[in-house]
Amino acid sequence: MSAALETLRENVRTWLAGNAPKDWREAATHEAFVTGQRQWFGKLVAAGYAIPHWPAGWQGGGRSLAEQKVIYEELARADAPRLLLSFVSTYHVFATLQECGNDAQRARYLPAILEGETWCQGFSEPGAGSDLAAIKTRGERRGDVYVVNGQKLWSTMAQYADKCLLLVRTSSEGAKQAGLTYLLMDMKAPGVTVRPIHQIQGDEEFAEIFLDNVEVPLAERVGEEGAGWAVAQATLSSERGLTLMELGYRMRGSMGLLTDLIRKSGKAGDAGVLRELGRLSAQVDATCALADRFLHNRITGAEQVGDASIVKNSYSRTLRAWADLGVRVGGLLEQYRKPITFGDLNTGNWMADFMNSYAWTIAGGSEEVQRNIIAERMLEMPREPKSWVA
Amino acid sequence: MSMDRTELRDSARKAFGASSATGDAAGNWAKLSEMGWFMMTVPEAQGGLGLGSEAHAIIHYELGRALVPGPVIAQMMLVEALAATGQSDLLDRAMAGGKMTASLALPTEDDVIEAVPDADVASHVLVTRQGAIRVVPLDRCTIAAQPTWDETRRLFDVRPPSASDGVVIAHGQAAEQLRTSLLLQMLLALSADSLGGAEAALAMTVDYLKTRRQFDRPLAMFQALKHRVADLKIAHSAAEALLWDRAAGRPSLALMGSLKTHCTEAFRLIAEDCIQLHGGIGLTQEHPCHLFFKRAMLNCALGGDAFHWEEIAGRAVMETTG
Repeated sequence: MSAALETLRENVRTWLAGNAPKDWREAATHEAFVTGQRQWFGKLVAAGYAIPHWPAGWQGGGRSLAEQKVIYEELARADAPRLLLSFVSTYHVFATLQECGNDAQRARYLPAILEGETWCQGFSEPGAGSDLAAIKTRGERRGDVYVVNGQKLWSTMAQYADKCLLLVRTSSEGAKQAGLTYLLMDMKAPGVTVRPIHQIQGDEEFAEIFLDNVEVPLAERVGEEGAGWAVAQATLSSERGLTLMELGYRMRGSMGLLTDLIRKSGKAGDAGVLRELGRLSAQVDATCALADRFLHNRITGAEQVGDASIVKNSYSRTLRAWADLGVRVGGLLEQYRKPITFGDLNTGNWMADFMNSYAWTIAGGSEEVQRNIIAERMLEMPREPKSWVA
Repeated sequence: MSMDRTELRDSARKAFGASSATGDAAGNWAKLSEMGWFMMTVPEAQGGLGLGSEAHAIIHYELGRALVPGPVIAQMMLVEALAATGQSDLLDRAMAGGKMTASLALPTEDDVIEAVPDADVASHVLVTRQGAIRVVPLDRCTIAAQPTWDETRRLFDVRPPSASDGVVIAHGQAAEQLRTSLLLQMLLALSADSLGGAEAALAMTVDYLKTRRQFDRPLAMFQALKHRVADLKIAHSAAEALLWDRAAGRPSLALMGSLKTHCTEAFRLIAEDCIQLHGGIGLTQEHPCHLFFKRAMLNCALGGDAFHWEEIAGRAVMETTG
């Protein structure tokens, strides 16, 4: 590792020692957790560590991939909370506006994100999960607004969001992908109702959004009318690229959570446990290397169809194995329910992490859909005939 | 992968094509010497090509892909040992293709050196024992052929006449360092060989599934089989990313051992599933499936098995984190 990277690592580590929240896992209510998230995000923005993947010109932006990895690893090593609340804002909104938005939208929304405005994503619906093109929420153009009616599902932390990346159907003609339009919606607009969903582990990380004659100005459309599918790909590819790199490196930086647990459980001398740890750590390193290669290929234009699916499935399987080892090493104590916190892999609550790992094999295009993409588009295996009739 | 690396890979692919498992071993060996691969990692000052461990991995990846037989890994270990210790006469002979060999088992203190490829036709064997590394002429050793399941490799048990026979090329601290670097080289070679083999086995299987028809459609159309193949592709891609990552760095023995385990296990998983996905034909000797499977199983066992390396990797993680 170069001297410059070592210096960065030292600087991040020193800053985190004085600033990383310590007791965030003890948050008794969701509101307390959210308040903590907002404060932590503000601190990271000020320090220049919140948006290392944004271009130069933004505070802390313009970092190389190598620098980003160092920051993610150190955040995890310091056991700092993941930026769950601002995740969609800093990755998905940024990628979408950067690739497909206009100057006015970028000028208005990007600085607001750094000031704390939070976003959620309104893609999935009750009838359109992994089959995203099947969405039915209608956007009807009336004068200078779209009037939106329908329901969105599995929207992460929508109950705390100010704005929403919204995919709606503006036409039913042609291919299902053709009639979609991408909007930026104000969550405070009349007609928006949010209902948190109680998940398997007791959290309310996801929510439903009900839309009843919600008006979205034409100026809040990203791309042309009917071009929503292409814009949505920009959002989703951000998820499968940079965000998975962050998560991979956070998992690697969080190995200490697992080794601490092994020590505490008195299993540090157990050859069977050590072997599983050895195996898992190779799997974690492989996932990081895969994310590295994926990003390298994307930057150099060498990305192939299916690459993103490989990264996603590899990450979600590794996350499952990681949390599973924690559950098994922790034994009975992990079966005692602890206060719930949000997050994927460093809640320190192994059963919650394990249950949460299923969110990664289901959300953002299920593991099965990714396998179809790999088989049909990458390995060119033939599709099944469309002979089924309801 | 840089331009040089791509060229190296392409020239290997051109030389060995799809499979050399059934070709003639002497012809393959001559090709390898002609292309200068035995001098690949030797510094230019010593007459070599001065290429690094990434190039080394690329060659072994392609050798595995084409199931090239012969003692290439052992030869390269011997070349490395001779180059590191300035044994120029023997080094020149080995770089020119003079067959020499080394054990592909983990070094032990036993009298018998196990898993030595092509010991019956090699001139010398590398022996690591009693704190020293020696080069022992094979005509003074007792050699016992050990028929193996993997027909692409010929393995022998070798017993040197005495513990002190041969030319000592390193002892003490230097021997320990050399032993580690040889082990690192062997583990990287086995990792690359495995993923090359896995790639070829998987490609062969995908082609077969597209051709073979059952229930009025190609097998490749069944989602159950697609998902299975996609999982194999994911396993291979993840292991390959780890391979190039570690080949480009300077990993510890623990990390190289865990790489070897990760890659050989991926090869084994893929080779086993390829037999199942080929159905009955996969269980015959007429079809190459079994060659990949047997090479995978041998690679799992060579250079220390998963039990050995995973425990060492786990200890290393415990020591360096938390």
